[in-house]
This record gives sequence, C-alpha cells and structure tokens, in this order.
Amino acid sequence: MDFNLQEDSPEMTEFRKEVRAWMEENMKGSEHLRWSASWSTRENEEEYNFRRGLGEKLGKKGWLFPMFPEEYGGAGLTVDHQFVLETELARYSLNLTHIFYTLARIISPVLLHWGTEDQKREFLPPIARGEIVVWQVLTEPQSGSDVANCQTRAIRDGDDYIVTGQKVMVGHHLPPDVLWTLVCTDPDGKRHENLSWLHIPANLPGVTIQHMHLMMGIKNAVFFDGVRVPAKYLVGGENNGWKVAHTHLELEHGGDGRVGTDPVVDRVVEYCRNHEVGGKPLIDDPHVRDTIADMILEINTVNRMNRRIFWHRFVKEPHAYGGAQFRYYQRMVRLRNGERLQKIMGADALIPDHNVHEVLDFEYVIRSGPGQLHGGGTLDTDRLIFARRAGIGRATKEKAPDTV
Amino acid sequence: MDLRLNEDQEMFKKVAADFVQAEAPTTMLTQQFLKKETFLPDLYTKIAGLGWLGMLVPEQYGGAGLSYLDCGVVFEELGRAPVPGPVFSSGVLAAQIVRDGGSDAQKQELLPAICGGEAIVIPAIGDHGAHWGPETVATTCSQSGDTLTLQGTKRHVYDAEGATAFLCAARGGDGGVSVVLVDRNAPGVTVTPHNGYMVSVSEVSFDGVEVPAASVIGETGAGWDLLDRAAEKAIPLLCAYKVGACQEIYEFTVEYTNERRAFGQLIGRFQRVQDHCVELSIHMDRARMATYETLWELDEGLPAEAGIHESKAAASEGYHQACSYSHMVHAGPGTDYLHPLMVHSVLAHTLYQYLGTPDYHKRRMVDALYPSA
Ligand SMILES: Cc1cc2nc3c(=O)[nH]c(=O)nc-3n(C[C@H](O)[C@H](O)[C@H](O)COP(=O)(O)OP(=O)(O)OC[C@H]3O[C@@H](n4cnc5c(N)ncnc54)[C@H](O)[C@@H]3O)c2cc1C
Repeated sequence: MDFNLQEDSPEMTEFRKEVRAWMEENMKGSEHLRWSASWSTRENEEEYNFRRGLGEKLGKKGWLFPMFPEEYGGAGLTVDHQFVLETELARYSLNLTHIFYTLARIISPVLLHWGTEDQKREFLPPIARGEIVVWQVLTEPQSGSDVANCQTRAIRDGDDYIVTGQKVMVGHHLPPDVLWTLVCTDPDGKRHENLSWLHIPANLPGVTIQHMHLMMGIKNAVFFDGVRVPAKYLVGGENNGWKVAHTHLELEHGGDGRVGTDPVVDRVVEYCRNHEVGGKPLIDDPHVRDTIADMILEINTVNRMNRRIFWHRFVKEPHAYGGAQFRYYQRMVRLRNGERLQKIMGADALIPDHNVHEVLDFEYVIRSGPGQLHGGGTLDTDRLIFARRAGIGRATKEKAPDTV
Repeated sequence: MDLRLNEDQEMFKKVAADFVQAEAPTTMLTQQFLKKETFLPDLYTKIAGLGWLGMLVPEQYGGAGLSYLDCGVVFEELGRAPVPGPVFSSGVLAAQIVRDGGSDAQKQELLPAICGGEAIVIPAIGDHGAHWGPETVATTCSQSGDTLTLQGTKRHVYDAEGATAFLCAARGGDGGVSVVLVDRNAPGVTVTPHNGYMVSVSEVSFDGVEVPAASVIGETGAGWDLLDRAAEKAIPLLCAYKVGACQEIYEFTVEYTNERRAFGQLIGRFQRVQDHCVELSIHMDRARMATYETLWELDEGLPAEAGIHESKAAASEGYHQACSYSHMVHAGPGTDYLHPLMVHSVLAHTLYQYLGTPDYHKRRMVDALYPSA
C-alpha cells in the first residue's frame, strides 16, 4: 500500500513543478478567492468570472480532463498526471472538474462512453475545455427520485425530435449553452425502455427558462414547448436512455471521486483564533475543541472515502458501494457541520461573508445543508443503492457500471 | 396526572388558532420572510388588542395575569404560523426583566406600554455571537454626574427593527453588568438589520449614547443575575412557540407523505420516509413534553430550573432537527423559498442560539441537577 500524495516519480516531480508554477501565475491577484466552495450557486460575479476564466485556461491546456485524448479536448496524459493536477489545485481548495458550475465532470465521460464519433468530435472539445456551460436537466414536477417516470415527450418528425414538457430545479443563475436531458420517446413502451438522452442547445426556439428561488441559490424551471431538436443530437440511441442514465447517475451518485479536501476546518480554526469571548480566544474553549475534533474526524473520513473512489475509478475497478456510501455520509456530515458551526459561532455563522478572503461562507455551508441532501438523488436513494450493491437482503450483489 | 388542557385553555387555543389562520396565513408569511420584512406593525397592534403582550404581567400593570400554561397554549399556536415579531422578546422577556428589576415607577411607566404595544422594548444583551453568559457583555457604561454613557456594539439583537427602546446590558468601571433602558431614538443608537440565513436579527450599536443615571433597571452592577433570572422565567414560552412550530411541520410533513407519489406509490409507504417522520415526531414530542411539564412546574411554584434549561435545549435542537427531517421528506420542493418549510427552516436557524445554544442549556441543566461542589 502507498498513501503518499506528495512524493512523485522524477517525471511527475517535473510535472508538479510545472503545474505549481502555472497555478501561482494564474492565481495571481485572485488569491483572495482561494477559499471558494467546491461548487457554488452563489451569485458572486467576481468569483464566477475568475473561476470560469481559470477553467478555460486549464481547458486550453487539456488539463480539465487530462486523461482524455487531445482530439476530444483532453491532454492524453496518465492517471499520475491527473493526480498531480488535482493535488495542486487542492492547494487552492479548487478541484478540476468543479472549476466552475457546469456539469462537464459528468457529461464529458458519459459522452466519451456513449457518443458517436461525430458527437464526440462536435460536442466534447468545448465541454471538456470548459468553454461552454452544460446543465443536467432530469427532474420533473412529478418525477424526482423516480427519474424513469419522465413525462417530457420527444416525438420523431423527419430529421428532428419535437420536445414538449417541463423540468424543474435545474442549473444555476447564469444561462446555459446546452441542456443534457432525458426524454420519453415511446410513451407506450415498457418502463426503462421508453427513454432517450438528448443534447439540447439551450438557444433553440421554444425553450423557456424561469428562475426558482431555492435555499441554496437559484435553480430553474425549463419549459420545452414544441422544441425542434436535430435527431443527430440523440445520445446512445433511441429508447436506450436508461442505460445512458446509468452511466451518468453512477458519477452523480458519488462514483467520480476526488482528492481535494474540505477546507472548512481550517476556516473554523482561523475564526476561533481571531475571536475572543471574555478575553479568551475561542480556540482555547474545551467545548469548541471537542466540536472541532468531531468535524475533523468526520471530514477526514469523507476525504478518504472520496480518495478511495478516485483510485478505484482510475484503476478501472469500480468500488461497488463506495459511491453511495460516500454520498450518504458526506451529505450528512455537511448537515451536521452546519449545526456545529452554529454551536461554535452562533449567529455569526449565519451571516454571509462577501469578503471571501476572510473566513467566508459558513453561511453557505449552513444554508445549503438541508438542500444539498437531495441534489442528484436523495439520501434515501443513496441508501437504497448501497443496499443493492452491498448485497443486503439479496443473494447477488448488484455490480457498479463500468467506470468511465 | 392529567394531560388535558382545561376549558379556558381549549378556548385560548381556539382563539389563537383562528387568529393565526385569519391574520398570519402561510402564503403571507412566506412572502414576508422572503422579503425579510418580519416586523409587521398592524399584526402587532392586533396582537396587543387581544391581550397577548404581557400575558404573564399582573393586571395592575396592564397585563393579563395568566398562568404559564395558559400562555404556553397561545404561544404554541403563534409558533405554528410562525407569527414573527417581538411578542416574546418585548411582551415576555423585556416585561419580565422590568417586573423583576424595575422600581415601582419604572414598572408603572413601562409595563402598561409594553402590554398595550405602544412600547416595544428589546433586550440587547450579549455583544458576541454564540455564547450566553456575563462574559459576553463587552459594551461599557461610564457614569459622570447624573449621566451614563454607553459604548459598544451588540452583534445580534433579535427583533430590533420594531424597537422603541432597548434594555442594554453594559459593563461599568468596576466590571459589574447593569441593565440600562435606552431610547431607540437617542443620538448614537444605530440599528442595522443583518442579511443572511436568518430573520429579524440586527446589529445594534451604542456609540457614546447618553442616558440619565436613573435609566438603570435593577441594581447597578447586579444586572447579569437579573437578566438570567428573568430569562429563565421567560424561556419556557419561547419553547412553547417552537413546539408549535414543530407541530405544524410534523402535520404538513405527514400530509405530504399522503399526497406525493414516487415509483407508483405514496411516498409514505416507503419505510425510509416513515423513519424520517419518526425522528421528527421524537424531536417534537421531546420538546413538547419537557416544555409543558416545565410550564406546569412554574405555575405550581415547584423547582423548575433544570426543566427550563432542558426545555430550551430540546426545543432549539428540536426545531432545527424537525426542519432537517422534514427537508428529507420533502426533498426538492421543500427547498423553495415559497414553501412553508423554508419559513420554519430560516427561523429555526435564527432561534438556535438565541438566549444560548442547546449545548449551553444542557450544561446549565446538569449544573441545576448536580451543582458542583
Ligand atoms: C440542491 C439541489 C440541486 C439540484 N440540481 C438538479 C439538477 O441540476 N438537475 C436536475 O435534474 N435535478 C436537480 N435537482 C433535483 C433533485 O434531483 C431531486 O430533488 C431529487 O432527485 C429528489 O426528487 P424530489 O425532490 O422530487 O423528491 P421525491 O422523489 O418526491 O421524494 C420525496 C421523498 O420520498 C423519498 N423516496 C422516493 N422514492 C423512494 C424510494 N423508492 N424508497 C425510499 N424513499 C423514497 C425520498 O427520499 C424523499 O424523502 C436538485 C435538487 C436540489 C435540492
């Protein structure tokens, strides 16, 4: 075994030097943004523009998806390079595919797996290079956990599909370029055999996007009113959408893995060193120390689970229940940490800190706590998947789909 | 043992429930919370008209002189809405501080006005965020002749928007804490509402504010004891308010399990959804049982200190957890600011540390039960 994340082979030592210098250069003047949350629907233009710009620069070098072939927007590098990149970005609390709010981290590998050669050449490079924003558009008013109950209809008409229906709770506050969507192509077909996956340019006539104000920020309702989508934008074949969904959701359900860490503890400690009650810094309060100890233990576990998934993914030996277990635990930890922040800082923790250089965004951790439990599937879905994959109450364990 | 409400209490409950439905419907509150406009003067005047400010205050001072249980029943209904505004902070807590510490003249001057709603007196106690206790009072108070000068900032004052006056906790030259009545319009007083994941919380600063020395409520330097005793008597009604909130959350959550379908069945059929409801009910009932027993102890003149702190811990934690479990049941739709759950979620976070976090009150409970040698 080898848990070393720091020491590299000679080749990687050189690469790390290169990446570190590149990051220093490109973070210059924006160091105050280094505490950014790992994904964000916060309406902070400065942060967003910075992250988007950085994403594009990384993309140009092929570093957003370093292991992808160059013709698809990657750099054709190895898992070791990916590791170096991730660990160097983690120094700034950033991680590769979350550089800015696009679902590229999921969509790119799924396209690589399911797309036709033409689709890969047309769609992948701009997505993988971070030039465009893609939204995952699955949830409908009457189908949330039960994604397969999709009611949005796509009817074939010549070279197009005509799409009609409504999705909810998708995207963020800035406009998308592409909607990555599940539709029903055979209303009379059998469940799971009646769905297809569509890549819908957001600027097509008949697409309307309306903001929804949710607790963790803006999400949207998307209306499709007889939208004509070229049939060549169907991904994975007609009525094969559920299989594509499997690949997609495995990544959404924790299967992607990361090596970054959650910087919240560092921020808490910084706050506790700088705040006194009755002339004593909070960091010396034994109750505060106990609470921080709980946070550290749980966050370390989350980080290790996430790293384990990362490893399994890139050696192509998917961990059967790892993703579901991680996602359930991580989200509960995040919820508990919100309460812990209030225990330590009280109402101070409920005030957003727009000066992000300071110990920002405790407010966001707290506010998003109960909402982030459901994004991409609820806690109950995680536990359901865990049970199947771990073989609880069933003779054969369900296998994880192939890693992509 | 008898766990029923008496006839009067049933009537109070009905009047309060009808009032809430008519005057503070959920659709209106979701809008007000979204706009962060939670001090509603008209609603407050109507509440004063019903005699719900100063319910515990003796009739001779313009109050209703009711029992704790009577008041608890009303506060529970107010919490269901949840009716915002300083009904508790002025009508119960400030009134109690004045009752316990005020001279007769101060009582005559302040209590009828508090009960009538003309005066909204808001306690501004700790300077810092999380903690509760005399060490959190940093605002200073210096005397020269007959004038006191206040200097300091209270980070988080609940219900300050509508205040006509503050009861400011301030530290004198000798280190003792005093409670000082300060007019809202006195030069040097600034109220700045906070933005964030909370409502009705403002920063209040006292910048060289001068008040007559006679503005001290209670004994100079003995203010912390006064505040602590008064808070203990007031807190159980805040708990009743949170119990009402939990009850409302519980009911609309169970209702939702009987409406929402997934995978061709009602979500209430899923054991995992049932499990969330079980947890929610335990948090609600834990807070409810402790609170009502404490209200009864107070009415009976029995030792209630441990129960008060237990109730506060259970109700603050319970309200917070009830929201979390309800969020688990509602999933996406429950995160929309137009959903009633969001009103509660924001308020539960706001009230979590108001007058001390649950952890603080747990420690106080143990101290009350097992005083250290
Ligand atoms: C922060 C956030 C971000 C989101 N982002 C997106 C996005 O980008 N794109 C997108 O398409 N959607 C998005 N969503 C929607 C999200 O995917 C859905 O909220 C989620 O799938 C749950 O669906 P629902 O809200 O309709 O809940 P429901 O499916 O109605 O669930 C209600 C309750 O029933 C339980 N339940 C349902 N089925 C079962 C079962 N079989 N067994 C046990 N319990 C069950 C659930 O766990 C929950 O407790 C987002 C949601 C949030 C909150």
